[in-house]
Amino acid sequence: MLRWAWLVAAKDLRIEFRARGRILAMIAFVLLAVFLFAVSLDRTRVDARDMAGPLVWLVMLFASTVGSARAFDAEDEDDAFRHLLLAPVPRPAIFLGKAAANAFLVSAVATTAFAAFAVFLDIRAPGPLAAHAGVLLPGVIGLAATGTFFGRLSRHSALGDTLLPVLTFPLLVPVTFFGSVGTARLLLDRPWSEVAGFVRLLWAFAVGALAAGSLLFRHVADD
Amino acid sequence: MILEARGLDCAYGPTDALRDVNLVAGAGVLAIFGANGAGKTTLLRTLAGERRPDRGSVLLDGVPVAARDAGRRTRIGVVGHRSGLYGKLTVAENLEFFASLYGAAGRRSVAAGLEAVGALDLANRRADGLSRGERQRAAVARAFMRDPGVLFLDEPFTGLDAVAASALEDAVRDRGRRGRIVVLVTHDVVRGRALANRVVVLRRGRKALDCEARPASVRRILDLMGLHRSPSAGDAHDGADVSPPEQS
Repeated sequence: MLRWAWLVAAKDLRIEFRARGRILAMIAFVLLAVFLFAVSLDRTRVDARDMAGPLVWLVMLFASTVGSARAFDAEDEDDAFRHLLLAPVPRPAIFLGKAAANAFLVSAVATTAFAAFAVFLDIRAPGPLAAHAGVLLPGVIGLAATGTFFGRLSRHSALGDTLLPVLTFPLLVPVTFFGSVGTARLLLDRPWSEVAGFVRLLWAFAVGALAAGSLLFRHVADD
Repeated sequence: MILEARGLDCAYGPTDALRDVNLVAGAGVLAIFGANGAGKTTLLRTLAGERRPDRGSVLLDGVPVAARDAGRRTRIGVVGHRSGLYGKLTVAENLEFFASLYGAAGRRSVAAGLEAVGALDLANRRADGLSRGERQRAAVARAFMRDPGVLFLDEPFTGLDAVAASALEDAVRDRGRRGRIVVLVTHDVVRGRALANRVVVLRRGRKALDCEARPASVRRILDLMGLHRSPSAGDAHDGADVSPPEQS
């Protein structure tokens, strides 16, 4: 199972690094959002660190939606997905592979968002970076898994990609909420014990999204 | 190896695509003919396990097999209307990726597949830079590289030049002689009949002919497809219903 997932993920990332369309669209969105936030925020009245946590997660939510909407472009371009489904690869492995590639891209977006905040708003993440990664990782997995599943589902709809945010945003409210609070507390230099509960909830969502996506993917993958 | 379809019914909404189709294919080339909308592609996709029939079953060596049976999928190869290649990857990378999904040895099987259709020169070219015919050759190479027991070819000659088409004809004939089942869907009745051991004609989702290739003349096949407008053919086939299939 993991071997197939790895093959699918490696193929997706190889295509992405050659095409660069998806990652560039996501990063451009992040940079624009952070820049607009930086120039519009009156820092004499509001501490940027109070706002940075929710904004990082909001930017990740939108960027992952942009990425998920295009996750199947290469598959559908010349009907390659049909041949992927014809291969003796379990549907959960295809889902996990595509979600892993998507998660990698969302991680790149999250890293860019943090770097952009550091540059534009002069926010330095206090504490060990591992703590921030500990909050981001389950959130990224949850966003990527949900986006991958609904990215495929929306392909079957006449509404296409416009349906994707309608389907995913309500489901992703818990992820963005837990992640925002977790990241905000870390930025305010609060102890890990105040964050750990949110991280557990993020992991619960991530594992649930991976399990549900793996089980249900065949229903949206096959004709 | 025997591929068998029993009482296949398939519908798209209110439209029947296949009605009570029974079929047996052994080693050799089975050509399926039919006019547009006759149900050829639906039949091929159902036989290949891509589409579940609304009624009936598909058996490989007497064993009913589900579409997601991994063991069965290693035994089949499919060439569709579209190439199914990833445009940003080279032909070799495409084939290596698919070979690795099947657990096949990478470069050797890729080279063998490309050689089978005379497409070794395409190996290092990106798929999005290929012409229609070149993509088709690469797609055929992907299906041939594992030398599967059952090959489903849906209009494989589309876009091929004379040399490539001839190489593909030889490869198809060779597979048939070596005991593989090749199911060929084509509009090219002359070429299809020349390659096939057995022919099936579909008309409005029903089997109108199922016989050895040699006694089935091109004219008779075209008549049954409803494409040859001889006076007798016109009289016989303008009605709403299709006659029971001829068997021999």
